[in-house]
Amino acid sequence: MRISIENFTKSFGDTTVIEDMSLEIGDGEMLALLGPSGCGKSTTLFAICGIHRMNAGRLMFGDADVTEVSSQKRNVGVVFQNYALYPHMNVYENIAFPLKVRKESKAEVDRKVQEIAGLVHIGELLQRRPMQLSGGQQQRVALARALIRKPDILLLDEPLANLDAKLRLEMRSEIRRIQLATGITAVLVTHDQVEAMSMCDRIALMDKGQIVQLSTPKDMYESPSSDFVAGFLGNPPIAFLDGTVADGGFRLANSQVTLPVPSGIEVPGEGAPMRFGVRPEFFQPGNPLKVPGKVSFVETQGREELYDVTLENGAVLRSIQSQNAGFKLGQEVSWGIEQDRVLAFGPDGNRL
Amino acid sequence: MRRAHLLGLGFLSPALAIILMLFLIPVLLTVMFSFTNMSTATGISGGAYEINAASLRKLADAGAQESFVETLGKESFVVDDAGITAAAAAYGEQFANEVGSQMLGERFSSRRDLERAFRKLKSRPRSTRDIKKAADLFKRSVLNIRFETAGGLVDAVTDNGIEMTPDQQELLTKTIYTGWTWTSDNFALMAQIPYVWRVAGNTVLYVVLTLAASVGMGLFLAITTFYLPSSAASSFRAIWFLPRILPNVIFVLMWKWLAWDTGFLSSLLANFGVPPRNWMLDTGVNAWVFIVLINGIVGASLGMILFGSAIKSIPQSMLHASEVDGASRWQQIRYIILPQLRWPIMFICAYSTLSLLTSFEYILLSTDGGPGGATEVWSLMAFHTALDNYAGNLQYGLGAAMALMLVIVGILASLVYLRIFNFNDLVAKPRIEQ
Amino acid sequence: MTSSNFRSWPLFLVLAVISMPLVIMYVYLFVDTVTDTTAGSLIPDRFTLHHWRFLWEEPETGRVSIWTVTLNTFIFATCTTLINVSASVTAGYALSRLNMPFKRFFLGGILTLHAFPTITLIISIFLILQMIGLYNTLIGVILVKAALELPLGIWIMKGFFDNVPWEIEMAGLQDGASRFTVWWKLVLPQVQPGVAALSVFVFLSAWSEFILPQVLAPSGSAQVLSTYLSNLIFDDMKPDFNMFKSVGVFYALPVIVIYLIFNKQLMNIYGGGTKG
Repeated sequence: MRISIENFTKSFGDTTVIEDMSLEIGDGEMLALLGPSGCGKSTTLFAICGIHRMNAGRLMFGDADVTEVSSQKRNVGVVFQNYALYPHMNVYENIAFPLKVRKESKAEVDRKVQEIAGLVHIGELLQRRPMQLSGGQQQRVALARALIRKPDILLLDEPLANLDAKLRLEMRSEIRRIQLATGITAVLVTHDQVEAMSMCDRIALMDKGQIVQLSTPKDMYESPSSDFVAGFLGNPPIAFLDGTVADGGFRLANSQVTLPVPSGIEVPGEGAPMRFGVRPEFFQPGNPLKVPGKVSFVETQGREELYDVTLENGAVLRSIQSQNAGFKLGQEVSWGIEQDRVLAFGPDGNRL
Repeated sequence: MRRAHLLGLGFLSPALAIILMLFLIPVLLTVMFSFTNMSTATGISGGAYEINAASLRKLADAGAQESFVETLGKESFVVDDAGITAAAAAYGEQFANEVGSQMLGERFSSRRDLERAFRKLKSRPRSTRDIKKAADLFKRSVLNIRFETAGGLVDAVTDNGIEMTPDQQELLTKTIYTGWTWTSDNFALMAQIPYVWRVAGNTVLYVVLTLAASVGMGLFLAITTFYLPSSAASSFRAIWFLPRILPNVIFVLMWKWLAWDTGFLSSLLANFGVPPRNWMLDTGVNAWVFIVLINGIVGASLGMILFGSAIKSIPQSMLHASEVDGASRWQQIRYIILPQLRWPIMFICAYSTLSLLTSFEYILLSTDGGPGGATEVWSLMAFHTALDNYAGNLQYGLGAAMALMLVIVGILASLVYLRIFNFNDLVAKPRIEQ
Repeated sequence: MTSSNFRSWPLFLVLAVISMPLVIMYVYLFVDTVTDTTAGSLIPDRFTLHHWRFLWEEPETGRVSIWTVTLNTFIFATCTTLINVSASVTAGYALSRLNMPFKRFFLGGILTLHAFPTITLIISIFLILQMIGLYNTLIGVILVKAALELPLGIWIMKGFFDNVPWEIEMAGLQDGASRFTVWWKLVLPQVQPGVAALSVFVFLSAWSEFILPQVLAPSGSAQVLSTYLSNLIFDDMKPDFNMFKSVGVFYALPVIVIYLIFNKQLMNIYGGGTKG
């Protein structure tokens, strides 16, 4: 089912959380609403499922306008961050509840529960209470309950936030597998870029009630539309250098060092402020465009090592290198930037 | 109105109905009653107007002219249709017709005058006795007749030929009314009660002493039981919690037994040569000691539980840390535990001030305000005045006025409390908007 | 907490001493009901069931049988609990969760009503009940008692509802249940401990209530145990404390049993329920 949000505005009292937002989600697509807390992603999710009313704008499911339709009639399945399982019912009753309120026959309910329990691999847990389940199992039950009535749309509100690291990895692929198996249109709300990138077809990155960029994970990582997007995606995060345009190049602030601007970029006028973003994988000892500095921080991550290099003007560049590179804290180094992978941003933060 | 609003109001409606009927209306009626002179004597359902010996005396006491009172009390004789019909039945049509044609509408202030007039008639009854009896048929009086309205009474009085000035009329209807009337005298009356200031003082004393006792004992119990091994602690908590849930009649009964002149204290002290007496009602000071003990222990139960659960919520690590830092037990209490109890202590003080101000059950059951009014507090005075006194005349109006004072104090105090305790935090916005 | 850094026996001693009077009163409350004591002595010296005769003997003329009174008390407490709890459960939910106009006003009002205990209302309630003919009936006292405990009940239930996760309700709506079904099938089961605690609390409070029945239903047929016992004490010129205590123990027994069973729930209300 295609979802389209048109000119959506939402305010609580005097504060407007979302203003004039439009978004189209294709049939069978899994889309992530990604952003820092308070960016309006959960509000958008609650508007799609009907728990919040829209102050202005229109919401379409396929060709039907559902703006004024109540939650109960929208046929949207939701998995909440804390799973919201009904503690007084066992797993079977939890999953059967949506069918029960629709007054489906016992045999039908039983058949569907067994079927969905098989899909999410919880067949042997049906008689347990939610309290007796692990986080991952609760997650599966919540998924089963959301999916059992064959909703047109599945909404996932920070579904992995309450899981420990190992389970998170497992459930990430599980949710994606189930989504693909059912072919359902899904919206994932998360603040974790790794989750968004690994699970979804497209990402809508939100900030302050606006969608700042909407594209595929790869595209968003490689060509972010602004320094905010660049900073949000990537782990370890991108490093920024501030400076100005000088002689058609980029002059680092408080420094005489000038770097050439990547090709194909329209350079703003002489003296205008500019920002370079350098991802850690593109700041390596072998690259030709050398920048001298001092190793100010070393973090061993097992397979890789992460270095912070403080430049003479105080700015910090980050580098990730395979292990056994063996640089020491305080060592003077002169590593190079891969010139064509540098991201340049203008004074307003937008990509040049 | 949105559907969602209707759902909310629907859920609230049973409670609203009960609150409307048994809170709001009573409060309004308390206000209303406090402006009446309702009492056992006036009844509560309205009264009537009746001139009789007693009400005439009241009228004279209220300052009516003697001649006016006398006239009201006298009978008069009026030749009217009712009398003529009666006369026709008793003494024949002829006499009646003659009376009707010659004397209709005439008035006589005494029977003798009417008899004299009858004697002039041709068809009068022959015997003097019959004339007297016939005259009696025309006797009209307002004495001992109930009138539902003041107008009815006034009409009857004027019909009897008694002229009244408007002043007299007002005085009459006001004085002889047997039901309740509106008045603002209650508040002046209240101020004139000789012991009213002592009662007000008692009330303040009662609230302050009991509050101090219950917070002090509550704190002491909560902290000491906190430091005891759990089995001992729970036994002590049970001992001190029981007063809270024991029916007050039984709790007071135990104290009465303790203090009675054949009770425990007297029997015990008899061994040391102290003569037996009723320790509770012996002197005013003794009565106060018992009042504060009884109420204070009940208050301490609540304090112990509240403070206890607040202490329990202090992280253990914080206490361990303070011990490692070298704090003595007293320092631990002073610097770690007590600061955590600020809020509960404030809450207990606020809550108890109001409830003590208006509570009187334990006093009623134990000393009943005695000896000699030494422990009478405001709410008990209102109760005694309106609902339970030895004189038997229950003054609902005056009692309501006394209770109204407490209502006003209660509303003011709770408005202040709503401020202090940050009411806004309690009203959360619903997160489901349908 | 027991800490090896502090000794606890001095505290134990102090507590034991100040608890002494209460303990003596409790012990004698029970012992005196089955013993006789020679006048002037403190030690009971004979066992007897004589003080319990009110249970099986015909009542004196003018007095009502203890069993009628007990039944009255039970009806009074049970009905009060039912009315109070059902109104509290719905109103508490409305104030905690539902959209409605004047919510602040209602909530503030209920907190303010809490400041109106018995005496401020009882005079006008007494007159109202007389006017509408419910004076001297159990119905009148039940309604009044249920109402007087209502602000606290609503407040406590609101607190319990506040602690139910919103997501459970949201999930229920998404699953297609109506707001009412969500409340009835999903939310109410979560606050069951609260309902139990409030029920016990109101039941005990009504069971112990004295002033309301004393003023509003003093006559024999609607008498409850509290007024029965207090009349017994007031009527007697020469107090028979052993008999009073027997009636008292009979009256207090359900309270003690309930306390032993529902100790935890009661603490919940007394300890946390009254917190704002």
